[in-house]
Amino acid sequence: MEFLLNPYYMQLITFIIINAILGISIYLTLSTGQLSLGNAGFMSVGAYTSALLTLKAGVPLYAAVPLGGAAACLLAAIIGIPTTRLRGIYLAIATLGFGEVVRVIILNLKITNGALGLSSIPSMGVMLSKGIAAFGLAGGIGGISIRQLGSIAVILVLALILWFLIFFALRLSTSRLGRAFAAIKADEHAAEVSGIDTRYYKLLAFFMGAFVAGIAGGLAAHITFYIGPKDFAYHRAVEILLFAVLGGSDVVWGPIFGAVLLTVLPEVLRFATEYREMIYGAILVLMMAFRPQGLISESTLALWRAKLTRQPKIADQDGVTRRTTP
Amino acid sequence: MTLLLEQVTKQFGGLAALTDVGFTVNPGEIVGVIGPNGAGKTTLFNLITGVLAPSSGRIMYQKQSLVEFKPHKITELGIARTFQNIRLFEHLTALENVVIGAHCRMKAGLWQGIWRTATQRQEEKNFREKARELLNLVGIGEDELSLAGALPYGKQRRLEIARALASQPNLLLLDEPAAGMNESETDDLQILIKKIQELGKAVILIEHDMGLVMNSCDRLVVLNFGKKIAEGIPKIIQDHPAVIEAYLGREED
Repeated sequence: MEFLLNPYYMQLITFIIINAILGISIYLTLSTGQLSLGNAGFMSVGAYTSALLTLKAGVPLYAAVPLGGAAACLLAAIIGIPTTRLRGIYLAIATLGFGEVVRVIILNLKITNGALGLSSIPSMGVMLSKGIAAFGLAGGIGGISIRQLGSIAVILVLALILWFLIFFALRLSTSRLGRAFAAIKADEHAAEVSGIDTRYYKLLAFFMGAFVAGIAGGLAAHITFYIGPKDFAYHRAVEILLFAVLGGSDVVWGPIFGAVLLTVLPEVLRFATEYREMIYGAILVLMMAFRPQGLISESTLALWRAKLTRQPKIADQDGVTRRTTP
Repeated sequence: MTLLLEQVTKQFGGLAALTDVGFTVNPGEIVGVIGPNGAGKTTLFNLITGVLAPSSGRIMYQKQSLVEFKPHKITELGIARTFQNIRLFEHLTALENVVIGAHCRMKAGLWQGIWRTATQRQEEKNFREKARELLNLVGIGEDELSLAGALPYGKQRRLEIARALASQPNLLLLDEPAAGMNESETDDLQILIKKIQELGKAVILIEHDMGLVMNSCDRLVVLNFGKKIAEGIPKIIQDHPAVIEAYLGREED
């Protein structure tokens, strides 16, 4: 127990959940076939908005984080209206450029404190442990200190948000809107002629992705207490993309799994010291060579479902397997 | 009058794909559009469905000009189409494809879908039922759970028609539905087109299979090099000198 409550593991778990939320954000945009690399930019907007609101305006944390998401969404409207006309690699480049623009702006603004970044951002753990202390548990419970209780509470809050987002994504995929998303991803022209307002739904998916990334940014800011422009640079955008590439973008579980794996892997590889990055890179190359569609696809889920319920695999009976987008 | 085209012209740069084409489609009528390859038939469909904008001329649907509308809006107004090269949502099931076709007739919004409200569930149930009826109508009812991309060619053509019908059109545009079909499949298609007409829908049929065209259509419009060269009932078109010339060339004296 003491082992699991070690702050290192606690922090790792919070990072895993935040990355999983980022995985959902890229999944939502990708579910209309739009490859947006602006999520790191939206994340930084969410993080800075939420941090500044709490630091300078005294807005309570629980209001500041959603406002950060809203700010990201607002920015998505400004850049999304021109860029969602772009397709494929052109959209990817445009959104990547957007992320860089945001980073450079943050780097040069006074209010964001430039390259030094913002520090002593109100901590979510402290806020929650104060709440717990108010219940008369200031001395901790069962040998768990109030500090640890705060960390556990943070993990619980994050898990709850992640759970809701997964629920949202799953319900969405089987609804009228989700079908429209899937149709646009499969064949945009056919979708439009089938009566789907493709521009509207592509923008909506773009907004959803931006909002979720903004929330993830706000949460990250209040967990690490420090944010700087470097945290949201180009490598961050690529990392988020990798969640989807590695995990697969067919079903919401794909990017989540990718996020978990890519957050844990560098930690697990710590023993390899200087070879760490090399092994990490090699694993990515091997994955792409042997499973380009990502680790989790529709058919993977069907297989596991069948295994768990001990029923024959439906997908294989007539040789039909779900095709996955590379 | 369901559809009215007046002096419709479409130019791609210096190339005139269609020049001053005009004809009408009456409610419940099947109009065939024939002509050699490159005559401008598919361009005509792209203009009617709003995929392309005409360079000049009027396209009226039930007394409303279609020119300024986007394709999805035109579908909502009641014009649906199929494609010459099949464009299904291949990795979705046949049933899902048809339900997507009904998108513009369904109402559930984002949050209704997330919370699965009673109205949303009822709507899903109704439209799934309607989609099954359409799959049965086109004769692939037993394939509702197959992935569209895995269906054999002839069934994919039928599925595309079912998807188009799901938007509850008054006018259905079929772009070479018999292409690549064998004789018995074409016969089945002819029966299907008649059934669609019996539902009160008008049809414009682009087709190279003359047997199908002559048997199905009430009226024919013949295009050649983007111009209408003849119009009339199949019997007259068959013997029309301009049509014979367009297809077979002029007889040397």
